[in-house]
Amino acid sequence: MAFKIASSPHVSTSLHTNTVMKRVALCLIPGIAVQSYYFGFGTLVQILLAVSVAYLAEAAVMKLRNKNIKATLSDNSALVTACLLAVAIPPLAPWWLIVIGTLFAIVIVKQLYGGLGNNVFNPAMAAYVLLLISFPVQMTSWVAPQTIAMNHASLLTSVQTIFEINQSFAAEYFRLGIDGIAMATPLDTLKTDLSMGLTTTESLAKPIFSGMAAEGWFWVNLAYLIGGLVMLKLKVIRWHISVAIIASLFLCASFSFLVSPDTFVSPLMHLFSGGTMLAAFFIATDPVTAATSPKGRLIFGAIIGVLIYLIRTFGGYPDAVAFAVLLANMCAPFIDYYVRPRSYGHRTGN
Amino acid sequence: MLTLLEQLDKGVLWQSPGGIHPPQLKTLSNQTTIARLPLARRFVVPVPLVGEQAVLTVTVGEQVLKGQMLTEGTGFTYLPVHAPTSGKVVAIEQHATNHPSSLPTLSCVIEADGQDTWCELIPHSLEQLSKNQILDKIRNAGIAGMGGAAFPSHVKLNPASEIDLVIINGVECEPYISSDDRLMRDYSDEILKGIGVIHHLLNPQRIIIAIEDNKPEAAKAMQDAVQRCTLPTGVVRVTVIPTKYPSGGEKQLIQIITGKEVPSGHIPAQLGIVVHNVGTAYAIQDAIYQGKPLIERVVTLTGEQIGQPGNYWLPIGTTINDALQAVSFSPSAAQKVIVGGPMMGYALAGLDVPILKGTNCLLAPSHHEMAPDVDEKACIRCGECAVACPALLLPQQLFWHAKAEEYDKAAGFNLKDCIECGCCSYVCPSDIPLVEYYRVAKSALKIEAEEKRQAEQAKIRFEARLQRLEDEKNAREAKAKEAAAKRQASMKSTDKDAVAAAMARIAAKKAQAASSTVSPEVPQVAADPKKAAVNAAIERAKAKKAAQANTVRSENELDTGTAEVNVDDKQAKIAAAVARAKAKKAAQANAESTTQKANPTETTAAETVLTTDAIDDKQARVAAAVAKAKAKKRAQANQTNDTTAKTEPSTEAIDDKQARVAAAVAKAKAKKRAQANQTDDTTAKTEPSTEAIDDKQARVAAAVAKAKAKKRAQANQTDDTTAKTEPSAEVVDDQSTGDIAPNAALANATESADLSPEQMKKAKVAAAVAKAKAKQLAKRAEQEEQ
Repeated sequence: MAFKIASSPHVSTSLHTNTVMKRVALCLIPGIAVQSYYFGFGTLVQILLAVSVAYLAEAAVMKLRNKNIKATLSDNSALVTACLLAVAIPPLAPWWLIVIGTLFAIVIVKQLYGGLGNNVFNPAMAAYVLLLISFPVQMTSWVAPQTIAMNHASLLTSVQTIFEINQSFAAEYFRLGIDGIAMATPLDTLKTDLSMGLTTTESLAKPIFSGMAAEGWFWVNLAYLIGGLVMLKLKVIRWHISVAIIASLFLCASFSFLVSPDTFVSPLMHLFSGGTMLAAFFIATDPVTAATSPKGRLIFGAIIGVLIYLIRTFGGYPDAVAFAVLLANMCAPFIDYYVRPRSYGHRTGN
Repeated sequence: MLTLLEQLDKGVLWQSPGGIHPPQLKTLSNQTTIARLPLARRFVVPVPLVGEQAVLTVTVGEQVLKGQMLTEGTGFTYLPVHAPTSGKVVAIEQHATNHPSSLPTLSCVIEADGQDTWCELIPHSLEQLSKNQILDKIRNAGIAGMGGAAFPSHVKLNPASEIDLVIINGVECEPYISSDDRLMRDYSDEILKGIGVIHHLLNPQRIIIAIEDNKPEAAKAMQDAVQRCTLPTGVVRVTVIPTKYPSGGEKQLIQIITGKEVPSGHIPAQLGIVVHNVGTAYAIQDAIYQGKPLIERVVTLTGEQIGQPGNYWLPIGTTINDALQAVSFSPSAAQKVIVGGPMMGYALAGLDVPILKGTNCLLAPSHHEMAPDVDEKACIRCGECAVACPALLLPQQLFWHAKAEEYDKAAGFNLKDCIECGCCSYVCPSDIPLVEYYRVAKSALKIEAEEKRQAEQAKIRFEARLQRLEDEKNAREAKAKEAAAKRQASMKSTDKDAVAAAMARIAAKKAQAASSTVSPEVPQVAADPKKAAVNAAIERAKAKKAAQANTVRSENELDTGTAEVNVDDKQAKIAAAVARAKAKKAAQANAESTTQKANPTETTAAETVLTTDAIDDKQARVAAAVAKAKAKKRAQANQTNDTTAKTEPSTEAIDDKQARVAAAVAKAKAKKRAQANQTDDTTAKTEPSTEAIDDKQARVAAAVAKAKAKKRAQANQTDDTTAKTEPSAEVVDDQSTGDIAPNAALANATESADLSPEQMKKAKVAAAVAKAKAKQLAKRAEQEEQ
């Protein structure tokens, strides 16, 4: 009889790409839950929308490329991309915003570069930047945290607002202000205040902030941090990038805060507002677009951390995660080229 | 700080990077002692390298005894092959072998007689043998590394440098395999005796027996055996290392035990370390103390498709089919049979292949033990492979370049340091068969390097050949010159000189008598190319004549002929051949004083022929016709036989009708004269030269003209002709560019075909002068006739 031949090794781990991606998506759940608690059901609607569009788009491209649709969709990478984009955009943003963003992320940023494993940029962040530049008003109007908002959006209102069925809420929504439903993000507020000459302490006295961090955002970030720690535990990600981002951001912020506490944001505020934790554990750790060697990943993470700090402090945008990640993505091939581990038997002077 | 020896004694361990922890699954096979299977009927013993390094010592049909040598080799690294049992050699043929490719190898097929009769065994003790005798005994026992690589052990036991540390590898880190485990448990004292031999040969400071901590029984057994053994205390030590794949790899084990890394591209001996497998130690003991060659080994037969998994003594040459049948192997659909472990073993396509010295395990897994192969998915650059790599490579970069067939880039990422342990493939979430890609890339690089090496060798060979030809040419030239000088020297004293002189005198008298009105030197430039051609021919002919007038010798005839045939430049050939023939004669004939003068005649002739070549066919033909006409006349009047003899061969090649007519006439005449001819060799000399001629018209002109000119020259004084051409032979040499044909030893004239424009000019001037003189002669001759 003929025996089956194959190249060694003949065994492998059971941890496959689709499992890895599924676990990433599952670890997002605590963050999503907390985000939904503070900012309403909009986020969930956005996720649903984004995931559907992402799968449809990916299936269409696979059909055009004559590839196995089922095999590609089952790797769950589109799921992760869609979820990340959905939690990054304002919960009550109109439906076409997330549709455009998802299509761009899947079709252009991912598939046009050759599909999973070949994209240079993080699809979710590239799409986020596209939306931010193209639709700045929609992209910078966040829902006020439920705890301080006058009028909280129910699930129905959220759906109606997102699909632009009931314009009354939307009209109200875009009326920025403390008594409105939508408002600038805490980081945006702080930045504006600081530029108007207020001190950090004065700005932090506003109701959008609670204590040292922003209302709601602190808990959202904490939830993402927990999800990230679970991923570390499951060995879905390695610690290098996350630690490097947090450490470098913390160091930069601490230094400036110690020099001038009145004009600079505190390190804690940096770490627990905006998308810091989401970026550190879920976005920057996307292996495809990051550096690969442990040392390279430390450098990659440090670049992101420093860029987040610089853009937040001196740049024109209130949050900087997307830009920082994209800029670091560009550096990844160079990092990989120049940071190579010393192979066995190649010790210098040996 | 502790020294390395102190650290070794304390059992300090270092960390090897990367590695994985796959399920061990060793209990499947290590529960029972090593057993024996019933003797198989048929054995297939590969006899590689027969014909290259070794010869067979048996023939088909011969009875062999167990342990009898089947091959005998000469090389230091050659290991002889032995009969695994007694029986008959039924075939020596190409048979599939135990290799991933199953490529056929020359094998001895032995049919067992069932007696299993040993050949004569000569046991020894260490004291009886010198170190070299021990090494010889180990080599003659055919002992190869039993860990899998099967490297000849005696080579490792005879290192060029001092060995400080011997590591006995009992790590056995691959899942499933337990042959070393069982061997250490069941034969620990024998292993220690083998270690004693190794100690005797290498005299290292320490011998470390390394065992993974998943084999506590084996470690215990070895520990006890160390206590019992007679080796000096403190030299041998059992060190238990943590279980991690691939700690049993030679480089990894050295790193774990000593913290040192074997430099890339080197062997451990560079560090003063040698690693031997426990199985090898056992085999060494068997060879020295029992006199037994390596004809059997412990093989783990395991996997869920095997009815009685365990470890068995299997004679080398047992077919895998026989071995598996004996332990109730029941293959499933799409069954894999793996030689070696699941990490580095290879799957076999067919089972009629033999157990070899390095075969430590046969694995027949069921489907749920080993998942069927899945399709490779996209690399997500997760970097897990780099974390797992014990050689600290970047497997995913290697994969990227290997897949793109950018093998040079892959080599830049130290592809050659990959030990193919399979850790990267094991951890890959995208199921990419990374090791397979590396193997392909490595082979491609190997082939590339081989091709490069061959190309370089070819280049060296080609250059050497050019050099050789050049040297030969120079040597020939030098020889020819020497010979010429000798000839001249010898001629001085011979009677031939006198004869030649006398003949020359006669000829001179005749010439004087015939052309009293001739003045030898009339400077007149020949402007007309037609005339030039004629004159050139005439000039050459004169030279010949001059030579003929003298005594002719045939010594160099063949030389001239063969030399010509190979010349590429036909025109050059013509000129050269003719000129040389003439020149030789002239040289031979003339007295010492006139020899040098003859040489320039060559040049002139060659140059004038070149001029002729440049002339249109028409002009050439006209010249030929004219020349022929003259030739006829003169031929009739001619009284010298040898002249016609010369004309004959030249005209044979003529195609042109006119030329043929002329030729026919000339031949007829020539025949007549040939009968009377007394200098036959002259013909022979001219013939080969003219055979090579291609330009018919030029030939016609030249040949006919020569004939005419000869006569005239005869009529004139020989001395006149030769004396006219003054420049020395050295000038001719200087003009030659020396590159045309390597076999033209006498090719001064030939080489003038490659003259530079400047040299051409000079040559033309010389030709013109010659022509003018020739004209003058022609005029005289005509006058004479009239």
